[in-house]
Amino acid sequence: MTETIHNAQPNIYKPAIMKIVARHDEAPGVRTLRLEFQDPDDHEAFKKTFRTGMFGLYGVYGEGESTFCVASPETRNEYIECTFRQSGRVTSALANADIGDLVTFRGPYGNRFPIEEFHGKNLLFISGGIALPPTRSVIWSCLDQREKFGKITIVYGARTVADLVYKHELDEWQNRPDVDLVLTVDPGGESPDWKYRVGFVPTVLEEASPSPDNCIAVICGPPIMIKFTLISLKKLGFDEKNVYTTLENRMKCGVGKCGRCNVGSVYVCKEGPVFTAEEVSRMPAADL
Amino acid sequence: MTRILFSDKLDHCVEKWRSAGMSVIGPVQGESLSSYAEVERSSDLCFGIVLPDRSLKELFFPQTEPMLRYTIKKNEIDTADFTAPTSPRIIFGARPCDASGLAIDDPLFGWDYKDEYWFQRRKTSVIVTIACTNADDFCMCTSLKETPDSTKGSDVLLRPLDKNRGWVVEELTDRGREAFALIAEYIKESDETPLPIAEVHEKFNLDTCVAWLQKPENFDSKFWKEISMRCIGCASCTYLCPTCHCFDIQDEGDTYSGIRRKNWDSCSFALFTMHTSGHNPRSTQSARWRQRIMHKFNYFPGKFSVNSCSGCGRCSRQCPVDMGITETLQEISKL
Repeated sequence: MTETIHNAQPNIYKPAIMKIVARHDEAPGVRTLRLEFQDPDDHEAFKKTFRTGMFGLYGVYGEGESTFCVASPETRNEYIECTFRQSGRVTSALANADIGDLVTFRGPYGNRFPIEEFHGKNLLFISGGIALPPTRSVIWSCLDQREKFGKITIVYGARTVADLVYKHELDEWQNRPDVDLVLTVDPGGESPDWKYRVGFVPTVLEEASPSPDNCIAVICGPPIMIKFTLISLKKLGFDEKNVYTTLENRMKCGVGKCGRCNVGSVYVCKEGPVFTAEEVSRMPAADL
Repeated sequence: MTRILFSDKLDHCVEKWRSAGMSVIGPVQGESLSSYAEVERSSDLCFGIVLPDRSLKELFFPQTEPMLRYTIKKNEIDTADFTAPTSPRIIFGARPCDASGLAIDDPLFGWDYKDEYWFQRRKTSVIVTIACTNADDFCMCTSLKETPDSTKGSDVLLRPLDKNRGWVVEELTDRGREAFALIAEYIKESDETPLPIAEVHEKFNLDTCVAWLQKPENFDSKFWKEISMRCIGCASCTYLCPTCHCFDIQDEGDTYSGIRRKNWDSCSFALFTMHTSGHNPRSTQSARWRQRIMHKFNYFPGKFSVNSCSGCGRCSRQCPVDMGITETLQEISKL
């Protein structure tokens, strides 16, 4: 039995109190909140632990907690950003909260993207719809120390133009000479003034045909997109060991006890949420 | 010579422990179900029960447990912790399978993040186990390579004498010795021989079953669908199980004040794993039953080197459609 206690508080289920300092509407029903710690000790603990890829449980007392990734990068740890789609009780309460309101955060939990191992390599980010937030945390963590990485390519798609999240940041990446951004929307999702690609992410990825040489791919999206994107990456010659993804399972405790995030023998909350495609391929597909 | 506690002295022992500030808990026959509950006198204890309907788990991991009380004022959230009770208690008459169930869950509640609700109660409880001299058709500890006199998770093991006259005392831990030092005057040296332990027949070969479960291709076997056809997903097996530990966290209250609780949950329920998007990794009852069996005999031992089953047989005993772990593993042994 391991005796390590990560949490300074004896009650591992007690969240930190956070103040909403900014909010932004990303797409219909999708909102980003920027949160600041109210207790300096909580903030210190967060700064010490947080690395890109980790997740947390965001909550509103009286409604409960929901699990999302930390969408802000590890290079900007003065605050936490989360982006979520309003769909249930907790996300509705979070969406209805105003700037200045207090909410809760428990975490950061889980493992991380080993970005030190990506130094000197080309990076390919592939993301679909509401799954850009976890990818965005890694993207900014790398862009904030741009000199350490090779070529950076981002392939991002959504069902419609309206569904693209972080539109202001997409513009910023589009205008950066050191980032290749490939934007696409599903057929039928384009608007009259849409000047980028139309097509599903795997198809557009194959057309863009990034080289697998010295390249790490980070993909995040709905299960169906991941499935077909992995096939495309294989076609392009990517080794499963160089492809990373993050699993988004339902969680309640976040600390390996409540039992619901298991995929096969894997506790996603403790051994994940970041896995290589090789690790995912060893998990029972029907459990994903 | 062995050390004996005679039953006619038990009432004095209960008094002694209680006056030392310990609550005394033991097997009790309730109106409909038997369980482990607090008693004031020894006559309330029912030692004739083969195994209480409800497991010992709930005294360490209650069905519902308040964790935090929140009070929200303008621009301020006040959160107060609920802690597990710190008063000492003695559980007199636990069954070996229930005591070992606690030991099985210790590593789960303790890996990296320590759940103090569990460990606080573990720390303050003395577990006095009575070896089984009777078993019923559902008992299956021997199939799990356990015995009706297993000492796992126990502080003291008692072996019954004939005619309910008392027990041979075997103290196993310092905590057990301390609790029994309080009643030293009632323990006599004598050369009594305890009753033989119950005969529990092996119902399946565990190694054969585990080897089958570990083969990746059997995850997709049609066996899972066949065996779980009659499962109605009631979750009785998981709630009565001495080792099932899954839970939910829910708030009870309103926007201004309330309590955050940890409640039992079950992998038998469809909503247990349902994603916000509507995607459900375990969308069928067969996938959920497979998870339960795999978790107990393949995944959990892979993590913690122990099967998540102590062989109490409650899952079969109480199942409304007669399909528990025994039936499933018996079928797997035939594959």
